[in-house]
Amino acid sequence: MPQKIILHLDFNSYFASVEQQANPFLRGKAIAIAGKGVDSIDLSHTHYKNIRFNVKQASLQRTVVTTASKEAKKLGVKTAMSSLEARRIAPELIIIPGDPKKYSEVTDRFLKILNKYCDKVEQFSTDEAFADITNNAGDYFGATMLAQMIRNDIRLEIGEACTVSIGIAPNKLVAKLAGESVKPNGITIVPPKCVDKFILSRKLDDICGIGRSTERQLHSLGITTMKTLRETSLKDLVAVFKEDRGYFLYFASRGIGDDEVNNVAEEPKSIGHSYTFPHDLDTDIELQMNLLALCDKVAWRMRRDGFVATEIGVCANYKESGSIGAVRRCQTPMEDGLALFKSAWAVLDKARNPNIPIRLLGVSARGLIKSEMPQGLFPKQEKMHKTLQALDKAQTRHGSGIWQRASTMKTSFKERVSGFNYDHKV
Amino acid sequence: MHQLLNEPIEVLVEFKGKHVKPRRIRWGNNIYDMNAFNLVHGVLEGTKQVFYFSVSDATNFMKLRFETESLEWRLVELYTDG
Repeated sequence: MPQKIILHLDFNSYFASVEQQANPFLRGKAIAIAGKGVDSIDLSHTHYKNIRFNVKQASLQRTVVTTASKEAKKLGVKTAMSSLEARRIAPELIIIPGDPKKYSEVTDRFLKILNKYCDKVEQFSTDEAFADITNNAGDYFGATMLAQMIRNDIRLEIGEACTVSIGIAPNKLVAKLAGESVKPNGITIVPPKCVDKFILSRKLDDICGIGRSTERQLHSLGITTMKTLRETSLKDLVAVFKEDRGYFLYFASRGIGDDEVNNVAEEPKSIGHSYTFPHDLDTDIELQMNLLALCDKVAWRMRRDGFVATEIGVCANYKESGSIGAVRRCQTPMEDGLALFKSAWAVLDKARNPNIPIRLLGVSARGLIKSEMPQGLFPKQEKMHKTLQALDKAQTRHGSGIWQRASTMKTSFKERVSGFNYDHKV
Repeated sequence: MHQLLNEPIEVLVEFKGKHVKPRRIRWGNNIYDMNAFNLVHGVLEGTKQVFYFSVSDATNFMKLRFETESLEWRLVELYTDG
């Protein structure tokens, strides 16, 4: 079987370059996209009174940088840095509230371009994708031409401010590594005969899958370069890192990786929603209100996608440090937020330490079964069944957030800018 | 100066191929001729289709919101250079 040709495409400073494309006055300037979106700023007064709202007044002080423009990166601004820290390093930094709906459209557009040229496309994150171009390209010369055409289409369809780095190699591991080796706007080709030399020229933490913790462990073993990693025996790696990680490191150091591009979305194993709160939750009422609101979000997604849940999972992070998580099997399949909440609260209340405030709360519906909403046997259940159907119809027609339980009126979840799935899509 | 707002405007558009390009904007008593059409993105609010146009002239960037149901245009973002 001939070796595959895999293309990896990654946008450079994605959210920042989309903003620079939309607003040409931001091009060439150090900008950062805030973790808080435009929707997180209360604009209700502007809607009714036509008041203008100066973005500088917005509470972007207590936020984090999700993406820095390449100009900001040169000044030392990094992803996940607090906005205060970023402004201290670069006082001229312009912080822009994120606009996930804009980024989502651009993501759809670049995936459409890739699908036009490639048989199999696998989205890896909001701004990254793999494509199997073995048949479309034929060889590495064809692959280079294809990469140029894709880059040209992106310039025409999205704009010249949005640049991409492309890597082409025999597998996903090396293609990603190649793409990331020349930024911004690079095309790096690593044909099979060059893989060996290319891998040896990279640092350990360049490999996708070697994070800080693994790197620290490797350093403690005296493995500091790709060459020393390659010289380490499989037996030694498995002894320290267990089987999966040991094999991964052994093969990665040789440029061997997965070459299967999965373009079929699998059925979800669970549907969940978590949220980090702007202030810690320390009373039962606050916890219950927010847990119920999260359960309603999860239940809506389950019903929309035609699932019922047979298990419920809850997780929480405490204020200082530490976290809890527990799962419970339910007696009957659930599709209603209130039913999910009752089970979730029972699990959380048993697992938590009530004396420590909670910073993050998450709930997930598991053991999913593809099924229509079950009909109720009793009049009360039947009434709830019809109510949910009517509410779902309203939500489909007018969008998420069209209804809310009276008991959750004090909760509000701000739209998040980053993440694999955009909030407005789930 | 970067402002978020929500003010009704009147827009003169150009239809070219499959694209709609806002060219002239009347906001209050002022008229702005847009010379750059930077990005357009669509959003579904329930089943309601809304389009956002990012346009600019020599000194202003404007984000315009167009509702396809009510055919209403609004200016939702203004960035003035300098």
